[in-house]
Amino acid sequence: MRFAAAALAVAGKDLRCELRGKELLPALAQFVVLSLVIAGFAFDLGSGGEARLSPGVLWLVLVFAGLLAFGRTFAAERDSGSLEAMLLTPAGPSAIFAGKALAATVLLVACEAVLLPAMAVFLASPISLAVVATVTLATVGMASLGCLFAALAAQTRARELLLPVLALPLWIPFVVVGSRAVQVAMSGGGFGAWSPEGQPYAVLLDFDILFLVVTSLAARFVLDD
Amino acid sequence: MIVVRARSLVQRFGDRVALGPLDLELAAGERLAVLGGNGAGKTTLLRLLATVARPAGGRLELFGLEATRQRERLRARLGYVGHQLGLYPTLTALENLEFFARLHGLGREAAWRALETVGMGELARRRLERLSRGQQQRLALARSVLHGPELLILDEPDASLDAEGGELLGTLFQGRSVVMATHDLALARRLCDRAVLLRAGRDAGDPWAPWLLRDGLGAPGGSWHRARAGEPGGEASSLAPTIGSAERPERVRRG
Repeated sequence: MRFAAAALAVAGKDLRCELRGKELLPALAQFVVLSLVIAGFAFDLGSGGEARLSPGVLWLVLVFAGLLAFGRTFAAERDSGSLEAMLLTPAGPSAIFAGKALAATVLLVACEAVLLPAMAVFLASPISLAVVATVTLATVGMASLGCLFAALAAQTRARELLLPVLALPLWIPFVVVGSRAVQVAMSGGGFGAWSPEGQPYAVLLDFDILFLVVTSLAARFVLDD
Repeated sequence: MIVVRARSLVQRFGDRVALGPLDLELAAGERLAVLGGNGAGKTTLLRLLATVARPAGGRLELFGLEATRQRERLRARLGYVGHQLGLYPTLTALENLEFFARLHGLGREAAWRALETVGMGELARRRLERLSRGQQQRLALARSVLHGPELLILDEPDASLDAEGGELLGTLFQGRSVVMATHDLALARRLCDRAVLLRAGRDAGDPWAPWLLRDGLGAPGGSWHRARAGEPGGEASSLAPTIGSAERPERVRRG
């Protein structure tokens, strides 16, 4: 109970700070739209082939938006000394980490709320419930991993360089499973369409559970050295 | 009851020994000033006591518990304000305190009480970024006491405070053990029971010892900076190099 209350307090504080400061969300929205415009020109979309390229564009944009979003989660806290102040409370590093990850997930979901409609507009991608479910499931696991590595990278001087180096290799499973699931979903498949080949939603859910457990265990050592 | 007991406490950054070996004891209700020039190891010592850093060697006990292993149990009993305030610029004064109160499992009343204690009740709805540095410092002090800690660890808490800041610190210190780093000897003498002078990370003696007072280092209103800079009244600059090698003076209590 206390864990949940502390995590919600941290998440609420992060979201309130973001809503007041408006530092990340406008930049993320702009990044998403510009990326899609560039992809449109680069891949000459509009002359056919959107269905094949759209899942790849979606995951590329999502991965780099994630790096932008998670990169800031701990850097500012560490620089201002507020992470230390939080750690000096009985809340515990795992609850603090869970709150930060929850807030980062909400911000990335907000970014996806811009990304998916923008894809429908710029790339004529069919956005279905299956696509939304896939992206949301992947976001949870990516956020927990991204936040852990952001906390680790925030302790170093080269934090902007270190985060992609650490996070991208471990995001590959989400991208592999997620892009195949999105491809199936965009070509008209539903939740059960890919079941013979491994049920991607179940696989993504398994990844989520695995990485949520691992990162909350590791958070204690990363945050509270 | 002994609140702080450090034995051969050492902190290293790479090959450089930043602190120690240092022995230190603080009894319940006692107020200790930590004095010394820049880079003497004051902040390092305070960070170790606040359990936000782990010592490289030695043993540190707080309230009889081993500080490194039991730090999560200890932290509810500590209040700490470091060089960085650790507050959120876009939140109001009250929201900042409410947030930390929630992490302590406390309600809004505790936040209000702490805010009133530091005389900032009227500024409760003002964002931190619109407060002066001194007001922000008061807010950080309020955060450090909102959960009623038994031991206060403050790193230059007077740095941005106005003339009434000393009175405020005196109020916050009531009924608590305190370790405070400061460059203001007059304030330290007014608020603390005893002092430790750090030099190159080592205990260089009690700056209030009669032999040091006589030579000007601990004179009321004097400053460690002035002494080191060799300015008028800073005769201790020539004395300082001998402090480490001199026979350790007997600890004396003020008053």
